[in-house]
Amino acid sequence: MLEKIMNMDRRVIFILVALVVIFPTLVPVRMPITVSEPTRNLYDFIETLPSGSTIMIAFDYGPSSLAEPEPMAKAVMQHCFSKGIKIIGMTLLPNTPTLAHKLMRKIAAENNAVYGEDYVFLGYRPGTLQVILGMGTDISSVFETDYENKTVDEIPMMENITNYDQIDLLLDLASGSTTEAWIIYANTRYGVKIAAGVTAVIIAQMYPYLQTGQLIGLMPGYLGAAEYEKLLNAPGDGTIGLNTATYAHLLIIGLVILGNIAFFIQRRREG
Amino acid sequence: MEIIGIWVAAFLTLCIYSFLYRDNPFYRFAEHLFVGISVGYIIIISIHQGVIPLAWEPLSEAISALWAEIVGTTTPETRNALWGLFRILPIAIGLLFFARLSSRHTWLIRYPIAILIGFGAGVAIPNVLQANIFAQTRGTIEPFAAMNAGTLSVLDTFNAVLIVIGVICTLTYFFFSVEHRGPINWLSKVGIAFLMIGFGAAFGNTVMGRLALLIHRVGFLLNDWMGSIF
Amino acid sequence: MKRQIPLAFCFLFGIAMIFTQFSPHSYSQAVYKEVINWGLIISPFAMVLAVVTLIQTHVTRINLRTEHWQYSLIVFVGMIVMVLIGVPFGPQNSIVEWLYNNVQVPMDATMFSLLAFFIASAAFRAFRARSFEAFLLLATAMIVMIGNVPVGDLVWNKVMSWMPWTDGASWLRQWILDVLNNAARRGIILGVSLGVISQSIRIILGIERSYLGGGD
Repeated sequence: MLEKIMNMDRRVIFILVALVVIFPTLVPVRMPITVSEPTRNLYDFIETLPSGSTIMIAFDYGPSSLAEPEPMAKAVMQHCFSKGIKIIGMTLLPNTPTLAHKLMRKIAAENNAVYGEDYVFLGYRPGTLQVILGMGTDISSVFETDYENKTVDEIPMMENITNYDQIDLLLDLASGSTTEAWIIYANTRYGVKIAAGVTAVIIAQMYPYLQTGQLIGLMPGYLGAAEYEKLLNAPGDGTIGLNTATYAHLLIIGLVILGNIAFFIQRRREG
Repeated sequence: MEIIGIWVAAFLTLCIYSFLYRDNPFYRFAEHLFVGISVGYIIIISIHQGVIPLAWEPLSEAISALWAEIVGTTTPETRNALWGLFRILPIAIGLLFFARLSSRHTWLIRYPIAILIGFGAGVAIPNVLQANIFAQTRGTIEPFAAMNAGTLSVLDTFNAVLIVIGVICTLTYFFFSVEHRGPINWLSKVGIAFLMIGFGAAFGNTVMGRLALLIHRVGFLLNDWMGSIF
Repeated sequence: MKRQIPLAFCFLFGIAMIFTQFSPHSYSQAVYKEVINWGLIISPFAMVLAVVTLIQTHVTRINLRTEHWQYSLIVFVGMIVMVLIGVPFGPQNSIVEWLYNNVQVPMDATMFSLLAFFIASAAFRAFRARSFEAFLLLATAMIVMIGNVPVGDLVWNKVMSWMPWTDGASWLRQWILDVLNNAARRGIILGVSLGVISQSIRIILGIERSYLGGGD
C-alpha cells in the first residue's frame, strides 16, 4: 500500500489538480477575506489622492503571468477612475504592449473614461534603465508619441506632465525584477513614490523594501487583487481566483503531508 | 472572428495540456508555433516601439531640416530638429549589432555592448548603493531609534531584534573569507535557518502563483470556450 | 582597436553616468541626458542578437535533420507571418492583434500553467522533512500556503475561537513575511548589492572583461 502511494503515477496527481480547479470554477464559493496591511496602505494612499492627480501604471508582466496582475490592474484602475485620478500606462516588457493596451481600453470603457483625458497608454521602449532614468528628466524624450502614435505633448492630460515630479504614484504590476529597478532608479534617483502589485512568485523578495518605505504598498498576487476588490466592495476575478485556489492549496498541503507520512514510515521500516 | 479566436485559443491550450499525458506532436506543434509567433511579435515591437520612434523618426526629421537649411526654408522648428543629426552616431553604433551576422566582423558588436554595459555599471554604483545598501541598513537599524524613544511596542521590539539577528546571520553565512568554525559556524547555521524560512515563504507563494495561471486557463476553457458551445 | 576602444567606451560611459548624477550643473545634466539618449537609441538594435541566435539554432536543426527538425519550419512560419504583416502595418494591425490575442497569449499562459501540475507532483515526491533545515522550509511553506487562502482564517476562527485574536492564519503568514523572510531577503539583497557594486567598478576600470567575449 505504502509502496503504491509512494510510486503513484504522476498523472494521477495531475488529474487531482485538474479536478480541484475545475470543480470550484463550475460551482464557485465565497469565503471571507482578511485584508493585509500592505494592500490597505496602497488603497489608502490612492484614496487620499485628490481628483486630478496622476498615477503611472507600469504593466511589467507578460502573457505568461497575466492571471494575477490583470485583476489588480482592473481594481486599481476602477478605483482611480471613480476618484477622477488620471492614469498613464506603459510597459518595460516587449511582449506586453498589446495586452496592456487592450486591458486599459476595456477597463476605461467600463468606467466611461476617455482616452487622452483620463488615461493614456505610452507603450514600450527598449532598455529598462534608460527608460526609467529618461522619464525622470523628460517623459517625452522617451515617449515622443504614445502607443497610438499621438504626439505626447499634444495629449490633453499630458499637458502639465513633464517628468516624475508630476506623478503622484508609480504602480508597478510585475512578474519579474522590474519593481527593484523602479525602486533603485526611479525612487532613489527621482523620489517618485512606488507601489507594486506582483505575482505570488516574487512576493517574498518585496518585503525588505516595504519595511523601509521604499514601497508604499504591495498587492501580493491573487490575494492582493482579492483584498483590493474587497476594499472597493467590488468582487471580481481576484476574489473568484482566490476562492478557487483554496481547494488546490488544500490538495497540495494534503499531498505534502501524505508524502511525508509515507516517507517517515518507510524510513522507520528501513531502520 | 471572435468565436474563431476562442476556438483557436482553446485548441492550442489543449495541445499544450496534452503534454501532461506525454510528449506528442500536438504539443510540439503548439510549442514551436508559440516560439515563432512570439519572436515575430518582439521583432514588430522592437521596430515600431524602438527603432522607428527613437532612431528613424528623429533622424528623418533632422534630414528634412537639413534639406530645408540647404534650400533656405528654415524655421525655428527645423533648426531645432537639426540636432537630430547627432543621433547618427548612436544609430551607427546600434547597427553594429548586425555584425553578429558575419563571423569575421563579430568583434564589432563589442562597441554597443561595451557602451550599454558601461552605462549600466555607471548608473548602478550610486543608486544600488543608496537603495540597497544605505536604505536597507537604515531600515534594519531605524526601529532601534524608536525603541530608544520608547515608542515601539513589545512585539515590534522583538521583531526588530529578530530582523537584526537574521540579517547578521544571513550575511555571515555568505561570508566566505573566514573559515566557518566556532561562533562563526553557529551564526552561519542560524543564517541558514533564516534562509530556509525565506525560501519556504517563497515556495508557499510560488504555489499560489502557479495555481493562479492554471485557474486562469481553466476559467478560459470552461467559461469562454465551453460557454461558446452551450 | 578590437578590445581597447570598447573598453575605453565602457569606461567613458560608466564614469559619465557616475559623475553626472552628482552634479546639477547644466552641462553635466546635458551630458547625463545625452548618455541616456544614446542608451535608448542603441538598445532596440540588441534585439538582433536574440533573433539571429534563434534563427541560427533552427536553421542548424533543419540542415542537420536532427530529431523533430520539421517543427523548426513551424517556428519560421509563425515568425514570418507575424513579421510580414506586423512590420509594414504595425502592432495595432487587426491580424497581428488577433494572432497575439488568440495564439501567443493563450499559449504563453498555458505553457506556464503546466507548472501548477509539476509543482503539485514535486510537492508530493520531493518535499520531505529530511533534516531540520528542510523541516523549517516545509513548515514555513505550509503556513504561508494556508495563510494565503481564505480557508486558513476560516478554520482558525472556528477551531481556535478560544484564542484572544482572530484571523491567526493570515496574521502568522504576514508575520513570517514581514520579519523572518524580511531578514533573510535583506541579507541576500545586501550581499548581492555589494557584489553588483564591486563588479560594476571592475567593469568600468576594465578589470572585468568577460562581456567582450573570446578572441583578440
